[in-house]
Amino acid sequence: MVDLLFYVAALLSVLCALGVVLSENPVQSVLMLLGSFLGIAVIYLLAGFQFLAAIQVLVYGGAIMVLFLFVVMLLNLGDPEVQADEPLFHGRGRVTGGLGVSLAVLAVLLLASRGTDLTPVDTYLWPEGGLDPLQGMAEAMFGRFVLPFEAASVLLLATAVGVMALAKRQRTPRALDSREAAA
Amino acid sequence: MSVPTEHLLVLSALLFAIGVAGFFVRRNVIVVLMSIELMLNAANLAFLAGARHHASVTGAWQAEGPVMVTFVIAVAAVEAAVGLALVIAFYRRKKTVSLDQLTPTLD
Repeated sequence: MVDLLFYVAALLSVLCALGVVLSENPVQSVLMLLGSFLGIAVIYLLAGFQFLAAIQVLVYGGAIMVLFLFVVMLLNLGDPEVQADEPLFHGRGRVTGGLGVSLAVLAVLLLASRGTDLTPVDTYLWPEGGLDPLQGMAEAMFGRFVLPFEAASVLLLATAVGVMALAKRQRTPRALDSREAAA
Repeated sequence: MSVPTEHLLVLSALLFAIGVAGFFVRRNVIVVLMSIELMLNAANLAFLAGARHHASVTGAWQAEGPVMVTFVIAVAAVEAAVGLALVIAFYRRKKTVSLDQLTPTLD
């Protein structure tokens, strides 16, 4: 029963991922991406990673999706007249090259995943709160992984500053002058 | 759930390949960013498949996989924020989000 749920969630996430790539309307792409993330969250939950399933829903399904949807709506990309790639498959070199690289990557990954056909013990109800117990995660993160943790915090700070610098409307010097003259 | 690790890795490979295809084929830069998110998710799934495999072989829990996944999620959030800020700056200048306006076409 639980295994069946895994295959349903896997099918959902793969179909939604295909929908992201194949739909022409960016709003539809964003919603498909949300479906794919939720399917993956279900798989995390079934595999015994309860904390990471919650993080997946909160950060990916919440924060990142809102960011994408906000930009799509801000730029009015749902409007068919602003569609950036109409028709979808344009340019033979790009399409054959892209699909070729994709299939090559798929072949390599499938080859690499062979030989791991062990059927693990049921990790759904692992003792002590799944495979990502919060206490153990926190001890690892502030212990052995404290340097990458601090690097991530610096990265987040740099991102906040950089995004503000990028998204700020550039004022030309002349506009500033005229404003000062008016004032 | 007692699904073999191979099936988790096959799912991860499929998601990654779809992300690669979207990255190269699509021209709408927002969809390209979404394809990158798909690839990061596939990598996360592979990390967790490995962590689960390790846990069920040795019977002991290891922190590496889940901790790595949290870092990947942080980097994915950073990437989305910076990428979308670049998209807005690009749109303001060119009034489009098509990558064709940014790079020469392939054919």
